[in-house]
Amino acid sequence: MVVDIAPMIVLGMVILTSLAFDFTNGFHDTANAMATSIATGALKPKAAVSLSAILNLVGAFLSVEVALTVTNSVIKIQDSTGAPNPALTADGGSALLLIVLSGLIGAILWNLLTWLLGLPSSSSHALFGGLIGATIAGLGFSAVKWVGTGAKLDGVVGKVILPALLSPVIASLVAMTGTWLIYRITKTVAEKFRNDGFRWGQIGSASLISLAHGMNDAQKTMGIITLALIASGQWHDLTAVPLWVKGACAMAIAMGTYIGGWRIIRTLGKGLVEIDSPQGLAADSASAATIIVSSHLGFALSTTHVATGSIIGTGLGRKGASVRWGVALRMLVAWLITLPSAALVAALTWGIGHLVGGLAGAFVVFAILLVAAGYMLWHSRKNPVGHHNVTDEWEASPEGLAPELPKEVVR
Amino acid sequence: MSQILLALQAAGQVLLAAVILGAGLPAMFSLGMRALAYGNGGSAEVEVEAQPHVLGKVLAYICFGVVIIAVMLGISWIVGTGMGYKLSFEHFLPVFRKK
Repeated sequence: MVVDIAPMIVLGMVILTSLAFDFTNGFHDTANAMATSIATGALKPKAAVSLSAILNLVGAFLSVEVALTVTNSVIKIQDSTGAPNPALTADGGSALLLIVLSGLIGAILWNLLTWLLGLPSSSSHALFGGLIGATIAGLGFSAVKWVGTGAKLDGVVGKVILPALLSPVIASLVAMTGTWLIYRITKTVAEKFRNDGFRWGQIGSASLISLAHGMNDAQKTMGIITLALIASGQWHDLTAVPLWVKGACAMAIAMGTYIGGWRIIRTLGKGLVEIDSPQGLAADSASAATIIVSSHLGFALSTTHVATGSIIGTGLGRKGASVRWGVALRMLVAWLITLPSAALVAALTWGIGHLVGGLAGAFVVFAILLVAAGYMLWHSRKNPVGHHNVTDEWEASPEGLAPELPKEVVR
Repeated sequence: MSQILLALQAAGQVLLAAVILGAGLPAMFSLGMRALAYGNGGSAEVEVEAQPHVLGKVLAYICFGVVIIAVMLGISWIVGTGMGYKLSFEHFLPVFRKK
């Protein structure tokens, strides 16, 4: 009997790519939890990323209730129990694997590009965008769930677009209220005494964000790897995730967090608003509360949008503080184009993979990922941002550390 | 259209709960800091001549205690949900129940 090993190799590539996405997810989002603590000096940069990494790891392991239906809110490649669409699982699941692989590649490349530009874009939007693009290319527009029906928020509109519009507003209102209250209450407290005290509060609330992040984000990758395993017939339980998948995803997101997306930390912590400890506490508490409350209510939102909204809100809530709207605008543009861009890259990737076909196709798209990622890493070495210079004055190094968005991206 | 209404409804709920927790707890923490400065006196206050007051310290630690308990409950809630448990306040004191 001849065993066809080609689908196994593709499955391996999907798993590797999923973990790579999880890694970029971690390092893209370190900023959401830790940018303000690093900016105010509540934590040393290295200590901040270490703390965040450990809490992400713990959070990822604690997310026992992993949804295998993660793709269901935007595309139709699984049924409601999580079982993959039978039409896609023939031939060792290669049709489904190529869609997932292309989607992940679109998401990773977009995450790396926005990191290179120091922009905090949403990893979940990148992931959904990638999956949507690959699905449109592979199965057509009708395989995407655009608008949900019935009494539940669902589909691209209900799960992605509306929450993205509303969540930064919610977070900034909360942070603004908190900031205003804090400054009002502590008006007669000496500044040094106040700031020393607020550092502790800030570390606490930043830790809470990290934990919630590990729980929310790592499980998306766990769900996708398990889906790929089911599609290729390597796993049959629709109610559980293999332990090694959980462990690998937890490690990947924690390592990514530890490496730290310093460029994004810098933009969020120093670029948007100059923040003081009390504002850091207000922003972090607003983010933590918004993320935790909404995940409880099933309102799917992106940690990135929330964290950015909170930081802007804390700038608006303090008299005399100002928001650098130029930086905020650039972020907004990045948010708007994240989903379509990741979708486009993923669709192109799928097209190439499909054209070449079979195992060779998977190898080609995997090679494209490696080359493009390698190019962006190499490019980043030209103006490195790390723990040593992450909190330098924003104005002092306008071109080196606040990378301008190249014109071709804006257009 | 119904999706927009649903989203606005969800957003309203999130906003309400998040303001209570995300702005209320920092405000409670600030009250603690205010009380602590009153308790310490001296250079902790803007007015340097201020005297230390024991009452201030007591009030401060009560405020910090409330914040810490709320955060602990928050963490147990996250962890509990992950484990498939639900935090219940039926008898006032928090209890974990299997969902």
